[in-house]
Order: sequence, then structure tokens, then C-alpha cells
Amino acid sequence: MSQAKSTGAIITEQTARMRPASKRRSIKAALEFYLFISPWFIVFVLLGLIPLFYGLYLSFTNYAGFNMDRLKFVGFDNYIKVFTDNDAMYSLGRTMLITCINVPASMAIGLLLAILLNQNVRNIGLYRTLFFIPSIIPIVAVGTMWRSLFTKEGVINQYLVQAGLEPVDWLGYDYAMLPLFIMLMWGVGGGILIYLAGLKAVSKELYEAAAIDGATTAQRFSRITLPLITPVLFFQFIMNIIGSLQIFVQPVLLAANSNSLLSTPIRPNYVYSVHAFQQIFAFNRFGYGLALLWVLFLMILLFTIVIFTTSKLWVFYEVEQEGK
Amino acid sequence: MVGQSTGSTLGRVTVYGLLILLSIIFVMPLYWLVTNSLQLVGSSSSFLPGGLHFENYYYAATLIDYWSYTKSSIILTSISVVIPTLTSALVGFGFARLRGPGKGFLFMMMLSTMMLPGIVTQIPTYVIFFKLGFLNTYWPWLFWALGGSAFSIFLYRQFFSSFPKDLEEAARIDGCSTFRIFWNIFMPISFPVIATVSILSFNGSWGGDYLTPFMFLQDDKYPLATALFSVGYAFPGDQRIEMTQVLNAGLVMFVLPIIVVFFIGQRYLVEGVVSSAVKG
Repeated sequence: MSQAKSTGAIITEQTARMRPASKRRSIKAALEFYLFISPWFIVFVLLGLIPLFYGLYLSFTNYAGFNMDRLKFVGFDNYIKVFTDNDAMYSLGRTMLITCINVPASMAIGLLLAILLNQNVRNIGLYRTLFFIPSIIPIVAVGTMWRSLFTKEGVINQYLVQAGLEPVDWLGYDYAMLPLFIMLMWGVGGGILIYLAGLKAVSKELYEAAAIDGATTAQRFSRITLPLITPVLFFQFIMNIIGSLQIFVQPVLLAANSNSLLSTPIRPNYVYSVHAFQQIFAFNRFGYGLALLWVLFLMILLFTIVIFTTSKLWVFYEVEQEGK
Repeated sequence: MVGQSTGSTLGRVTVYGLLILLSIIFVMPLYWLVTNSLQLVGSSSSFLPGGLHFENYYYAATLIDYWSYTKSSIILTSISVVIPTLTSALVGFGFARLRGPGKGFLFMMMLSTMMLPGIVTQIPTYVIFFKLGFLNTYWPWLFWALGGSAFSIFLYRQFFSSFPKDLEEAARIDGCSTFRIFWNIFMPISFPVIATVSILSFNGSWGGDYLTPFMFLQDDKYPLATALFSVGYAFPGDQRIEMTQVLNAGLVMFVLPIIVVFFIGQRYLVEGVVSSAVKG
């Protein structure tokens, strides 16, 4: 109370010193600011914050889709179940494994593609378009397309047979992760625009100076290019990790008899989001499913915070941030 | 850009070789999709089309209620492109050119919503909308659209911030209202960013919005993105036989608008994304 009073006092003191006209103007300006951002703010509160915390609340209950009128508070039961549910832990492990492969692989390939597109060759715009196209094709079409290529009678097996080799059960247990990664890598072109922007921002004089000093291509890449594009790599790293941990639809689309968003992917591709989605929509375990999703959300948050705090050690900013 | 010009002939050959090889890799699956969509139903897939069976496209459009799904796609996409493109501009303008207490905090909050897995809020929203009776209607999309999208707001804010202050000051002295400054001065010169936001929203909605319709709508109201995956093309005589060729034809028709829009707007898309990435 006393604090509120004192801030109030300061404000009155300040406003008393201001000319009434300018005070009115700044209030009017603030009101206009709030008015302009109000569409976002209202929807953010009503359909962002409220559902977010309502979901948090439901994750502490036994809500199962029909028992809203006799909801029971179950404390941390759902959260304890997350860590004792073998399927949840298994799927979390698969998600982590996929993330650990997908993030470095897609970053390396994306950067490599961008470096290729940064070369001084003719028709570069055409190549850029061709590299970019896979990433604009709707994922539902991409998944269905790859699945039909990888089925037992699919194009890829036919090539193998024509070459005198045995057909492979690509979507089966032993190979299922390979089509998944091929599909993920195929769509990697979405990030190349960002890498390309980073590469273009590196000043040419640096390369020229290095060339005069006799630096090799490899040296120029590791000493100039790589450090200078760390801000772009940092951005891509965060976005890729957030995306990979949430991976959901690609494994479902590659499921052997996939015909619905509730299809279960084959075991090696059984990822965490699929498990959560199954709990909610196949088994109506809303409370438990929401606990699973909140664990995922907190994990993403934790990863993001860790990456942000360690970024000072490896992200290089050309212009030192002022006041820090 | 000379940046890392490859001097030797060998280097140039390698670069061209890689570019062409990669282009083939990136285009090949799409080529297979189109070739397959023209194959005789039930035939095995092959590299060269074994015929031009355009009737597959007829089957794709008639065996399932393709038009009704398309209509749903058009409705959802129109809502999710037109409205957020305008409201995001309004909010982006506010964050770029206007001032008020808490602006920095609100902006950070807006950006951080991009990190939140959508499904964490969508499941409780589903429960709330179930109680309010909004399930199986298009109202939820209208509500979401009114709030704009975080990424679009960010793009607009980056773009609007790049203009000098003089742009609006003269108009203000003439007594122009803030809304008129936004609508009559800023919007007309913002075509590149409006185009970028529209294309991204179009792709996100037409192709990317398959999960929310699955949750919030009944199957007869599904848009194509949800329907093509969950309805499927079964052989009329025997439900167990999947007609892959017809499904591929259905997919080609579904993907075509995205490709067309991309080629029309690609110039702006590249500019828009790149400029905001560099500045951001």
C-alpha cells in the first residue's frame, strides 16, 4: 500500500511539473498504442493465457472428457505418472534421439546448401527456388508422397529390384527411422534463406584481406565465415530444437497403415507428442495428456533458457551491445 | 556475390555438379508424385509415366466429396489470410511507431508465444469451445484470426520501424489521426511485407492447418489438408484396396495453389524474410 502511494506521489509530482498539454498528449499516445495492439492483446489473453492456465489446472485433475461436473483434484499424480509411464519415457527417448540427429544434420545441410547458393554462378535464383520448393509443400502431401515412395511396392524398391537387389521393408521396424530423416532433410530448404542472409552480411573486405594474407578456403571458412554467422546459427539452433522436440505429424504420416492423425507410428518413430496426442484423443485421458504436454513445454522452456544463457560463450556479435 | 568465388575450373565444375545434383534430389519426389498421379490405377509405379490417365483426377475429385473439402479449405484460408494480415499490420504498427508504458515487455511476450507448442493451448481451448458450443463451426478461426499472428506482427514491426520519423510528423502537424497515418501513409508503401505475410499465412492455412480442423470440426467440414489424409481413396468395390494413383492426383490438385502463389509472390517472400532476418 505504502509503495503504491509513493509511486502515485511521484507520478503526481512529475505530472505537476509537466505542461498539461504535453501530459495530455502522452496519455493520448499511450491510449493509442494500447488501442493498436488491443486485437493481439485481447486474443492473447482470451485464447492464449486463459487456455494455457486452464490446461495447467486440468493437468492436476482426473479430467477424462466427460466428468467435468465431478472433477477431482489429484495433485501431482499425472506428473508422477509421466515419469513412471514406460511408453512416455520410451517416446521421450526417441524424441531426444531424433532431435540429437535432426538438429545438427539439418543445420549442417542447410548451411552447406546456403554456401553453395552463395557462389558466383549463373541462374542462382533458379537453384534457390528449386532448393526452397520442398519446404513450401504441405507436410500432409509430403508425408503421403514419401510413404508411397517407400512402401514395399514403391518406386524406391522397384529401382532396387531393377538393379538386381532385394527389396527393403523401409517402413518396417529395422529401417523406419531412415525414411523419417530423409523426409526431414528433404524439407531443410526452408532455413536456407536465413543462412543465406547471414552469409551475405559478412563483408567482402574480410575475405579479400584474408586472401592477401594467404589464408586457405578452409581457414577463411573457419576463422571468418563461421564466427560471423554465429547469430544466425544461434537463431536456427533454437528454432530447430523447439521444432524437433515437438515433432509429431511426420512419424504419423509414415506409419505403415497410416490413414488418420490417430495412427500409431512404428515403434522406433513413436515420439513423445504422438504419445500425448494418443492419450487425449484415443483414450480421453485429458488430465494426463495435458500433464505430458506441460512437461514438454517446460522442457522446451528449459532448453531455450540454457541455450540463451550459454550463447554468450559462442555467439559473436559484430556490434557490441551497448550498456552491457 | 564474389564472397567465396571459386577460382579453379575444377572448383566451378564441383559447384555446378552439386547444384544440379541437389536440384534433382529436391525436385525428384515431386516428379514422382505427378508421374504416379497419371498412372493406371493399380499399376505399379515407374519412372516414366505408363500413360496419361487424366481420369485419375476425375476420380480424385468425385470419389470423395472433394469440392466440399475444398470449400472448407477456401473458407478457413480466407479467414486466416485476410483478417490476420490486417490486424497484424495494426499491431505491428503499434509496436513500431507508437509509445506506451510496458511496450518492451508486451513485445517480448508476443515473441515468446512463438516458442509455445500450439497444442498446449489448443487442447484446453477445445474444452472451452466445447462448453461454449463453438465446436464444428468456423468461429474459432475467426477469433484466432482477429489476434493476428506473432510472426506476421514481428515482420510488420521490423518493416514499419525502418522508416524515418519525418514520414508521419508532417501528417501529424496537418492534424492527421494516427489511424489515417497508418492506413493512408504506411500501408500503401508496405506492399512487400503485406505480400510476404499473405503468402506465409496462405501456406500456413491451406497446407499447414490440418490438426485444428481434426480437433474442432466434424469430418464433413474438414478442409483438404485434413481430409486427404484421413478420408483416403478406397476402391469402390473393395474398401481395403487403396488407390494410390488417385490419392496422388488429389494431392497434386491440393498442392497446386501453393505452388502458384509461391511463384507469383516469391520475389517478395525472399525479400521480406531476408530483410527481417538480417535486421532482427
